[in-house]
Amino acid sequence: MPGLELPLVLIAILAGTLAVTSASRGAWVAIALLALTSSALEFSVADSNRIGLILRLSAIGIGLVAALPENLFEREALRRDLALSTLVRTLRDHPVVVASAIAGLLLGLVPLALPIESSSDALRAAGIALLVVGLPPLLTSRFIEATTRAAVVTLAGTMLLRTSIFGALDPLAALAIGAGFACILVVGGSVATRISNAEEER
Amino acid sequence: MSELEAPTAIRAFFPALAALSSLALVPLINFWRGSQRDDAATYATIGVQILLLATAVGAALAGAGYLSTLKIGQVTIDPSEPGRLLVLLGGIVFAVIVGAGEGRRAGTMGQIALFGIAAIDLALAIPSGIAPIALLLFASLGISGAAASGKDDVDRARAVFRDLRTVSLLLPAVVIAEILRTAISYAAVDASYATPSSLAAGTALGVSLVLIVAAGVFPFHGRLIKIFEALPIVGSLLVGVWIPSALALIVMGELSALASSITDPLGGAIVPGILLAGAVTLIFGAVSALLHDDIGEIVGFIAVGNAGWLALAAAAALQSPTDTSSRLIVLPGMLTTSLFGLWLVSVRRRYGTTSIRELGGWARRTSANGIALTAAIVALAALPPGAVLAARLNLLLLGGNPVIALFAVIGQVMLIVAAIRLLLIGFTPQSQTVHEAETRPFANVITFSLVAGSIFVAAAAAGWLALESGGTGPLPPAPSVSPGTSFDPAPSTEPTAAPSADPTPSATVSPEVSPSVMPSGSGEISPAP
Repeated sequence: MPGLELPLVLIAILAGTLAVTSASRGAWVAIALLALTSSALEFSVADSNRIGLILRLSAIGIGLVAALPENLFEREALRRDLALSTLVRTLRDHPVVVASAIAGLLLGLVPLALPIESSSDALRAAGIALLVVGLPPLLTSRFIEATTRAAVVTLAGTMLLRTSIFGALDPLAALAIGAGFACILVVGGSVATRISNAEEER
Repeated sequence: MSELEAPTAIRAFFPALAALSSLALVPLINFWRGSQRDDAATYATIGVQILLLATAVGAALAGAGYLSTLKIGQVTIDPSEPGRLLVLLGGIVFAVIVGAGEGRRAGTMGQIALFGIAAIDLALAIPSGIAPIALLLFASLGISGAAASGKDDVDRARAVFRDLRTVSLLLPAVVIAEILRTAISYAAVDASYATPSSLAAGTALGVSLVLIVAAGVFPFHGRLIKIFEALPIVGSLLVGVWIPSALALIVMGELSALASSITDPLGGAIVPGILLAGAVTLIFGAVSALLHDDIGEIVGFIAVGNAGWLALAAAAALQSPTDTSSRLIVLPGMLTTSLFGLWLVSVRRRYGTTSIRELGGWARRTSANGIALTAAIVALAALPPGAVLAARLNLLLLGGNPVIALFAVIGQVMLIVAAIRLLLIGFTPQSQTVHEAETRPFANVITFSLVAGSIFVAAAAAGWLALESGGTGPLPPAPSVSPGTSFDPAPSTEPTAAPSADPTPSATVSPEVSPSVMPSGSGEISPAP
């Protein structure tokens, strides 16, 4: 689906940026959107490999169901948090992250003297942009939910960068990476709940 | 699946099937003994111990080789010698540890051990690509999450959080190493690329980083210490020792293949850096083990010392890719640390404390624990001198730096002294805690399995036993590492020196194995087509 590649890349980068900058509801919806778009991009490279896409989406779906916080789907709150003005304000409040995403996108479009020069430009750009957006909070954030989301963004970026050079993963690797996505979401969610429970008790 | 493939599939997936069956077994036992909860926990523990031992027996029977290789479409599940040996020993080690641990959660810990062993087996069975490393890293995260569950303990949760961050950072490092590795072949023919030696150095750095961080080499030791402080011992050993050891086998194979693929010396200061990190880790682990008064922390620092040897082995694999010493020391170190873990869980269960001050006279009160620690010390010292000690000395010689070697020897001696200190405390006058503790008679199943298991594992770790997981022949070579013709990863594809049909030394603690240059079960990073 070459025609859809560019819009998907832009949506993935935007979703990745919102995933690390938004508050709870917006961030989780952004993570779900990122998972969908990055998986579609990753596995569109090899059309025969539908099993990889199914495995990835199933694993992330399970992980998200297990990790989503309670009261996420309160209709009014969801509408408020996902309003365009809220999203724009969120991005405006985090200019460094937005600048990083744009810089990553531009950097990704420039081929370097590595085998990546023969790789897919769009996937490479998306991969590097997501890595640039995800890595700083992954390294520095003290909040578990935010770190979990940053880990998902980083992993999605890593896999997109890899796919841009080597093509889609084989089914076994797709299963391992899909399980990894689910594992990060489930373990992150469980750790966050446990720490908040312990702090409440205290 | 054809009739012929069915038994092959069962053999290829046996540890995973055993782990999955525990998911049904434990609830069934709980349902059966519903009204008697303590009784149910005891039966569940026995159930998972039987499954662990069955996994070990299954690994011994299945062996490794073409007959165990399963092909599903383009996917190959290829049981490796190291994988099967780790399953064989892991089944026994964790069955004994779970038995010594007792308690309500022992059954759950047994299940965790089963899944950990299955993940290791599966990862080492996948011949190439990013999958084995990813599988091990995510299994490590999942196991630490599962082991920490059960109570809202902030320290445990934070240890898991640290693990989540580490795992998420290591995977990009592997992918970057994979990309750099692919570039090596282009560099040999196109001057616009960086030189092969500098690209190889970058690849080596990325791959080594996985080992260094996962194993807890200085300055990344903090994660390992937190794991040993916070997680139950089964989780600590799996996440801090067994999975890093499996990763080490993959990394060593990868580094050997990498180093033998370039003719120039490796660029950068990679080898001296890893050597230095290894020696510092050994000294740091030993000094810390001597200075601490908590046996949980001391065992954690002994594990850090073992990580130092893994780093030295990684450097040796880069220096001399055909030498097998680097892969030979992985298994003994892992077993030795597990023995200390076994002793720790047994002492903690009996006396309810981990403070040395409260454990005076423990060995006089429970001689079985004394035997377990003595066995661990013998394994740590690799006595009587044999293949394991020779391999360690060989690593130091390969390092080529007498100062590093001297520091490493001092560190190892200090680690042994720290362990002997623990034993000597056991012979001091009995503390009140020890005196008042309830002990069981020597002649019972748990004590017997503790003593017998300790001696068996120590024998394996010290190199007395010739353990082989029984293959039907050498494993098929891993796929080519690089698309380029100029980059020939000779050791992984064409074993040339001293051909041997025996399992490779990485898979065995046998002093009799013949040398082989084939980094078996290496799960090499290779680009997708």
